[in-house]
Amino acid sequence: MQKTDHVIDLAGYKKEDLTVCLGCKICASVCTVNDLSISTSPQELLQTLFLGKDISADNPLVRYCTGCYRCTQACPWDIRIPEIVRALRDVLATGSPFEKAFKGSLDIWGRVYEPYVLLKAVPFLIKEGYLKHMNRWIEYMGIHLPHKVKKINPSNNSNGQKGGTL
Amino acid sequence: MNYGYYPGCSLTGSAHKLDKGVRKVLEKQGHVLKEIPDWNCCGAFEYGDRNELTNFSKRNLEKARGLFSEIIAPCPACYKNLKEADENNEFEIQHPLDLFGEAFLSSMKQVHDLKGNVFTPYYGCILLRPRETAITNKTVMEDTISRFGGEIASEKVKDKCCGGNQIFINKFATEKLSRLILEKSKGTLVVFCPLCHMALKTFSGDRKVIYFTDLLLYIMGEKNTL
Repeated sequence: MQKTDHVIDLAGYKKEDLTVCLGCKICASVCTVNDLSISTSPQELLQTLFLGKDISADNPLVRYCTGCYRCTQACPWDIRIPEIVRALRDVLATGSPFEKAFKGSLDIWGRVYEPYVLLKAVPFLIKEGYLKHMNRWIEYMGIHLPHKVKKINPSNNSNGQKGGTL
Repeated sequence: MNYGYYPGCSLTGSAHKLDKGVRKVLEKQGHVLKEIPDWNCCGAFEYGDRNELTNFSKRNLEKARGLFSEIIAPCPACYKNLKEADENNEFEIQHPLDLFGEAFLSSMKQVHDLKGNVFTPYYGCILLRPRETAITNKTVMEDTISRFGGEIASEKVKDKCCGGNQIFINKFATEKLSRLILEKSKGTLVVFCPLCHMALKTFSGDRKVIYFTDLLLYIMGEKNTL
């Protein structure tokens, strides 16, 4: 149960906020994941979460949610399911090598430095067959040097310690 | 008008064309853009912890406090994150597309027109959703194209998802979603989001995918080809 509350909390909700879900499943009917011919139901995910049951990392929504907010747009209560999915991904630690490289770049520079992100994810890029797209990317990518953001002074940061990790 | 400018990471990297375009278009109309000093990444959509995510943007707003009251953020993800972090509506955070309204278009100096070209305007997800942070000028691309004589492809794909968010996670998902958009659209695709540009460009083959600012610069005579 605690884990469930944690996920809802990470997404910026309270458990009561999700009780308004009517179960109309309009979110399921508009979900982008359907376009991939994978059937999914964000409403069932909410329900499972609300009941405190486990959600596996193999859940189609956890794996493929693109964060398009089509479900939120359709939902009568504007429940932000993509944010709940992101919190779930965080708890289930499903981060891809790309996400790790992205966060790593932020830890070093405070900004995303694309060449670093690409270099860090090279084994993954080779394995998943991204190299054939390299020519395409070089066409429009520019060359620039990384820029380091100054460290945040925690006392200036009124919103807790986490922002101070930059 | 003086604006605080938040380019975000991708506009300093792979989307540098969009950065130059936005600066040039707005400067031509007499607006002054000044970068927020020492800005950091907005966290995009990579963080599960909402607090952690908004803290990135809160730091940016902290840096802009006292310097600017209006901020322009061209990247849809940065725009959404900044807008959500500004809980007390201290700043007016604007997307460039909202600035390209009727007054802007009628004051534009026209050199080229778009006659004989077919365009498919494509906004993507985050510019149009969710409601609270969506842009207000939701037909700006269509208005511009038809005003200057271009033809708009009939099938509407403007609010479909290209899966750009998943390009380095599930390539098959991005490939399928982007190809769906490319199949349903005609002519040149006009986009604004750097991620949509990347996803669509990767799978577009011979099809042209251009930034909306390229289109404006072409009309203004800054560029000779589309």
